Amino acid sequence: MALDKLADRVIDTDVMIMGGGIAGCYCAAKAAEHGLKVTLVEKSKTDRSGCGAMGEDHYEPVQCDGVTPLEFVRLWEERQHDLNGDGRFTDRNIPYRLLDKSLWVLEESEKLGITMKWDDGEYYHMPSGWFGGPRLMIRVHWPDIKPKLARAVRRSGANILERTMVVDLLTDNGRVAGATAIDTRTGEFIVIKAKAVVLATGIFARCYEPEEPLFYKYQMKYHWCPASISGDGYAVAYRAGADLANMDITGWGLRIRDDLTISYGNFDHGDGIRAKWYTWDGDEIPYPTADKYREIELKGKDPIYVSQSHLPDDYHRRMQIAFTDEKAISFKIAEERGFNPRTHRYELMENHPLNFMVPTGVNVNDDFAASLEGLYAIGDCANGCHGCGNAALGGLLVGDNIHRFISGAGEPVINQAQVASQKQTALAPLGVKRGTEPIELELSTRYICKRYVGMLKNEGRLLEGQRRLRSLKREFLPKLMAKDPHYLMRALECRNIIDLVELHIAACLVRKETRGQFVRLDYPDKDPSRDNMITIQRLENGNPALEIREPPDLKPEYLKEEK
Amino acid sequence: MATVIDYTRCIGCGKCYDLCPMDVFTWDEEMDMPVVTHEEDCWFCGVCWLECPKRAIDIVYPACFW
Repeated sequence: MALDKLADRVIDTDVMIMGGGIAGCYCAAKAAEHGLKVTLVEKSKTDRSGCGAMGEDHYEPVQCDGVTPLEFVRLWEERQHDLNGDGRFTDRNIPYRLLDKSLWVLEESEKLGITMKWDDGEYYHMPSGWFGGPRLMIRVHWPDIKPKLARAVRRSGANILERTMVVDLLTDNGRVAGATAIDTRTGEFIVIKAKAVVLATGIFARCYEPEEPLFYKYQMKYHWCPASISGDGYAVAYRAGADLANMDITGWGLRIRDDLTISYGNFDHGDGIRAKWYTWDGDEIPYPTADKYREIELKGKDPIYVSQSHLPDDYHRRMQIAFTDEKAISFKIAEERGFNPRTHRYELMENHPLNFMVPTGVNVNDDFAASLEGLYAIGDCANGCHGCGNAALGGLLVGDNIHRFISGAGEPVINQAQVASQKQTALAPLGVKRGTEPIELELSTRYICKRYVGMLKNEGRLLEGQRRLRSLKREFLPKLMAKDPHYLMRALECRNIIDLVELHIAACLVRKETRGQFVRLDYPDKDPSRDNMITIQRLENGNPALEIREPPDLKPEYLKEEK
Repeated sequence: MATVIDYTRCIGCGKCYDLCPMDVFTWDEEMDMPVVTHEEDCWFCGVCWLECPKRAIDIVYPACFW
């Protein structure tokens, strides 16, 4: 059967970029500058999508104070150790390159119409960054970063497919050949032929609960845009046979009740002055880890609060600007709820897994190439490239270099049987009547993660979670129903979430140790054989495979440059 | 209700329908106006509230977030 009979639309392009957030937009604009045919596929609307949808207030890393890339690698790893315990989980050459090229992004951004300087025409280096110590973070006035980036992409000549969700990648003999997608408003089935595919979607987080206690219908109140955190990039890479990294390690944090911010960076990081954490009866405590939180609870000392009321006026003025840059609606919400953000005691609810942040995602090398030929990953969906600055930089670097791969790539060959099978999977929920709504299955999956994985893990719970998830998938994935293309999008997201949770549980079962905030109550010690190791998962001949291996160390030339 | 359109102010410019990251709005061809059809998907980001040129949209926190 001819391709145009199978698809409502066939698009032929050099580079397909999945996800029009900060990484995807930078990449699209830069690749188009090299004269490539670029197609950006965005599930929402590029002008207000992704983690930067409502704006950004800070940007990191920016090379400053003579910090060398090698020192940055060390700082970067120290930060990782605080979160995830000792060890290397990522290719060290990635942070090296990220800092090495960080000043180049500042110039390139200005060319795209993105202002990197503060109102006084100077870079606003914050006293401290996420990494502490050197001033690697700058404040940016970016309430409209996304509308500006979207305009830059359109000016560059790249084609944007808005409201389009990628179903799966197309492959040909171990290389990527494009993707299939659906229009989430019309239901059109689209085939995109591409010589290279760049994944630029968000972090994966929708397998854990959102930030507010949601017992009613609003199930999407996450910290990051729920459209961008359904793990679409991770899932399509995995199903196409690419390597995913460290799906056992989640980011974690305390849920902040009444939280107004979008980035936790707003609180006290960056400004180098500390908010206060204290128990309900006034004892000041350090930011509690999962086990410390439990100790406090057992002593009857919770709730724990965080307060900034002791901080000076000018801090609060700066915070007000930061909030306005990142989430303009914050102050309206506070006012309506009857509290003053300055004096409010924010309650810290339980310590829980938040998302799959550094160091998870599609495993890439320092050229951001994944293990499948022609496949790249940047920004939050790539291992080691999380955060706004890294997204911009990864996007620019791939955009600037991908023409080298394209020029030798040859025409992609589309396997029509693969297209037909993906079409059947994609559209199946539209034909199901009296089935299961996507949100119901998604909530069941989230509950499995909360109850059987959680912060404090053990073998028995993980096995029970695995058993429940497998039977849930077997019984209910085929019954997913969608009354229109909007719900079809949610159904396909649900399929991605379930596939990734299966990997998550499998990886947790294999890590029989406690390291950082990966806590196995049944294995309280570190397993030395997992030092400096990365957990890789991939689909091999239709079966999930797991490999534990060492990530690459710094290249000799990087070490040499230092001397 | 979390997302409320005030039709006495709405001019039907379509910005909310165009921009909402979660596609909470649908376009009503007959009215030539946006309608809230997927309210349960709202994540309270405030993009519609921010971008509406007539401030015809209000985002209010429901009881379950209190």
